[in-house]
Amino acid sequence: MQRAAGGASLLSISIGDLLAAEKLDLLILKTLALLPLHGYGIAKRIEQMSDGVFRVTLGSLYPALQRLERDGLVLAEWKASENGRRARYYRLTAAGHRRLSAEQKEWERAAAAIASILRTT
Amino acid sequence: MLSRLWSRARDLAWSDRRDRETQDELAEHLELLTAEKECSGLDRAEARRQARLELGNPEEAREAVRESRTGFWLDALLKDMGYALRLLRKRPAFTAACVLTVALGVGASTALFAVVGGVVLKPLPLADPGSLVRIYDSNPARGVERTGITSGNLQDWRQRTRSFRGIAGHYTMGRTLTLGGESEVVLSAQVTADFFSVLGVGAALGRTFTPEESRMALFNSAAAPVSPDPVVVLGHALWRRRLGGDPAVVGRTIVVERRPMRVVGVMPDGFAMPAPDVQLFLPWGLPEQPPRDQHYVSGVARLGPGASLARAEAELRGVAATLAAEYPRTNEGWSVRLVPLREDLVGDARQTLLVLLLAVALVLVVACANVALLSLARNLERLPEASLRQALGASRERLLRQFLMEPLLVSLTGGALGVPLAALGLTLLKQVGAAVPRLHEVGLDAKALAFACVATLLAALVSGLPAAFRLARADPAPDPAAAPARLAGGGRRHALREGLVVAEVAMAVVLVAGASLLVRSYQRLRAVDPGFDPRGVLVAPVFLDMEQYGGGEKSRLYYATLVERLRGLPGVLATGAATALPASPLGPDFERPVWPEQSPHDERVRRSAWVRMVTTDYFRTLGVPIVSGRGFDDRDSPRATRSVILSEGLAQRLFPGGAAVGRRLVVDYSTTGTYPYDVVGVVGDVRFSGPRAEPRYEIYLPHAQRPYLVMNVALRTSGDPRLLAPAVRQVLHELDPAKPAHGLYALADLVGATYARDRYVMQVLASFAAVAVLLSLVGVHGVLSHRVRERTREIGIRIAVGASEAHLLRWITGQGLRLVLAGLVIGSTLSTALARVVSGLLFGTSPLDPAALLAVAALPLLALVASLHPAWRAARTSAAEVLRAG
Repeated sequence: MQRAAGGASLLSISIGDLLAAEKLDLLILKTLALLPLHGYGIAKRIEQMSDGVFRVTLGSLYPALQRLERDGLVLAEWKASENGRRARYYRLTAAGHRRLSAEQKEWERAAAAIASILRTT
Repeated sequence: MLSRLWSRARDLAWSDRRDRETQDELAEHLELLTAEKECSGLDRAEARRQARLELGNPEEAREAVRESRTGFWLDALLKDMGYALRLLRKRPAFTAACVLTVALGVGASTALFAVVGGVVLKPLPLADPGSLVRIYDSNPARGVERTGITSGNLQDWRQRTRSFRGIAGHYTMGRTLTLGGESEVVLSAQVTADFFSVLGVGAALGRTFTPEESRMALFNSAAAPVSPDPVVVLGHALWRRRLGGDPAVVGRTIVVERRPMRVVGVMPDGFAMPAPDVQLFLPWGLPEQPPRDQHYVSGVARLGPGASLARAEAELRGVAATLAAEYPRTNEGWSVRLVPLREDLVGDARQTLLVLLLAVALVLVVACANVALLSLARNLERLPEASLRQALGASRERLLRQFLMEPLLVSLTGGALGVPLAALGLTLLKQVGAAVPRLHEVGLDAKALAFACVATLLAALVSGLPAAFRLARADPAPDPAAAPARLAGGGRRHALREGLVVAEVAMAVVLVAGASLLVRSYQRLRAVDPGFDPRGVLVAPVFLDMEQYGGGEKSRLYYATLVERLRGLPGVLATGAATALPASPLGPDFERPVWPEQSPHDERVRRSAWVRMVTTDYFRTLGVPIVSGRGFDDRDSPRATRSVILSEGLAQRLFPGGAAVGRRLVVDYSTTGTYPYDVVGVVGDVRFSGPRAEPRYEIYLPHAQRPYLVMNVALRTSGDPRLLAPAVRQVLHELDPAKPAHGLYALADLVGATYARDRYVMQVLASFAAVAVLLSLVGVHGVLSHRVRERTREIGIRIAVGASEAHLLRWITGQGLRLVLAGLVIGSTLSTALARVVSGLLFGTSPLDPAALLAVAALPLLALVASLHPAWRAARTSAAEVLRAG
């Protein structure tokens, strides 16, 4: 578990605290669906897309990437980054795309169910 | 899948490099964030500090990556294994029971698989074994299914057929081998010139026979070959045993039947034709005019390229029909049958083994079902844990893996123990299964070990999956409000367990039904009267040679003296001898046409009878009753009128009304003439080749009038006949040191061998059935106990509202009975369908024999016993205690 990171906005939440590791996988897959990114880029995008609510730490991001790579959902290769340095870029494989759409559907179903429960209560 | 495996392998191999890469990657990440913060105006040191705070410790992250890389499959596996081991250790009795169950199942099935694989499935160790066939003569009109072929027809077959690449003949008999002053009787085969080439086997040392050697070797049945330069080929085992595996044996001379013979070759190890114990091969040249009515030759042939068995058989039958027209006197009614050589060697052992394999598979299924039941019942207690872990994000896959680990460990241990058990079982099977052909070839080979692995994994899956699925399907959010549903019994929760118990009981029912059919059949088999009394009889086959005992008078004298001497031994009640004894495989045994003298031309009364030469006192020695007239005695001397004794069945057939004695019977000895014989007596029918075969028509001739070289000597004693063996050996040695007996056997053992397979199958199946019943009862007990535990609350309430103990007992035992009855119905249906499988093994017993039904009906009673304990526990539940706890 990642300890709470100080210094940032009080509203931001470290991902490990809220979600099981699998949900972080889903978010990573989503960010990579558009274009290949390096680790920093992924973290940045998740932060942006969640309006700064989710913040990703090294200790949760890289093991997750490692898992996804191992499972053949993403491919990694070293490439020159935008500022001319070398960075490890991750891109979604066909299996990654399939997993993403499956997980997304399931998540949406679950979220809708939870929402409807919350509405009725 | 492949790429995933590859990347895992790479992870392991290059983990150092990957580790450095991760380090670089993390540093880069940190650097990028630092740079960004610098852009917003912070100095470098401060930017770096904040970035680190925000991102966490890169060293810890690196550790986590490393863990997630290797950890997944090795670390997690070890963790799961440790967890499973702890759980198993906590319940040693449960674990031991499961391991033992699997070990027995795997061990038994592997041993049987090895036997079936070696005996039934493995091709013969001969070139292109599929094209080798046995040829039999058959005469359906006379009720002769299969018998030997004749040397006369053999030559015509060769010339008139095109479907065969070769047809060879051979004849097996015991011959005395003398080496270094020590004589022993060895089984030998005299083989026609093309015997080895038809089989496609050459000598391992030296050569087989030349055409010239074969042509010169003319036989006079029991004698050694009459050839100016006798030659012999040795079997591998004999060469090793008696000649010390001498590589220079070719050219050496050995003595067979008192004749020096030159060794020309040694057969390769593993050559087991015509039988494994045939260790001496002699050439055999057929005479100019070989007989067409002496069916003693064994035929073996190789089909030509492209010829099918059916076509070859059709062609040969056509030739046989032509020959029957050309030689009606000898060939009338005779046709042929072709049988694949492998089928012929394995014979009906195939069916026996397949039945046993089926049975052992059923036991394995029951064993697995039981382990599944036990761990299911146990794992249900872990449902809350599973739910919790799933809610915490543990994947279904991971839960499944974790819960499969336990049965996997149990099965692997069981399987590992099963292999030595299989080796032990195989030794036992070999010891008691002498009736099974090719058993000597069987061993725990790679295939059998592979089978053991597969059986083990199957056991793991079958025993683990039900429990694992049940757990992995656990409700991720255990709802305390669901508890009342549990109280009401929730039918579906139990469907799996009850299904397993029902299946278990059904398998047990099938086994019990099969076993009781075989027990019944065996009882009927043993109840058959063989027509003689084998108890207390010792048998000594003696093979005299032409060289020393030719001409009749000498062999008559030898056997007369031998019988006289043996009769004088202490403890001997009676002694006699016959060319062939019931249940004894050695000795000449042949049929001749016979008819009453007064109706010479009436084909309808002509019968084929088996001819036996016997000494005086033979009937008394064997305990064959004399029905009318007398047995042979001194009146039947060489110079007296020829006399004959008939078996009762033949006497009734030829001389209806019991008027046989005093009439005359004609026996057609085609080679030596056709003479009338005075019928002096009628004796009881004898089941010559075991209880399954009907008694045959037999005639007995006095040895004094028709001396024979090969005789089986029998001695009756009041005690254990085997104790006579040393004295008998001594007498034989004194009479002629070069003529030892071909082994000494207790007749009861020989007769027992004819039942051996039936007894064997019955015992194995009965023990399988017993195991299956026991296991299924354990299953019933387990399920009911668990249910009682689970429903303690309901039981408490029932007691509180006034349910009596008797009522509770009825309730629980009723549930057990319901399961058993369901299994009974399914099992009975199944065994009716499977009855066909065992019907071929049964003797005088219908596959739907009521005995099987009766045995099966006992199962519910046993089930009642098994459910008593849980029922009793239920009845003793204290209402107050339960309600307070609930």
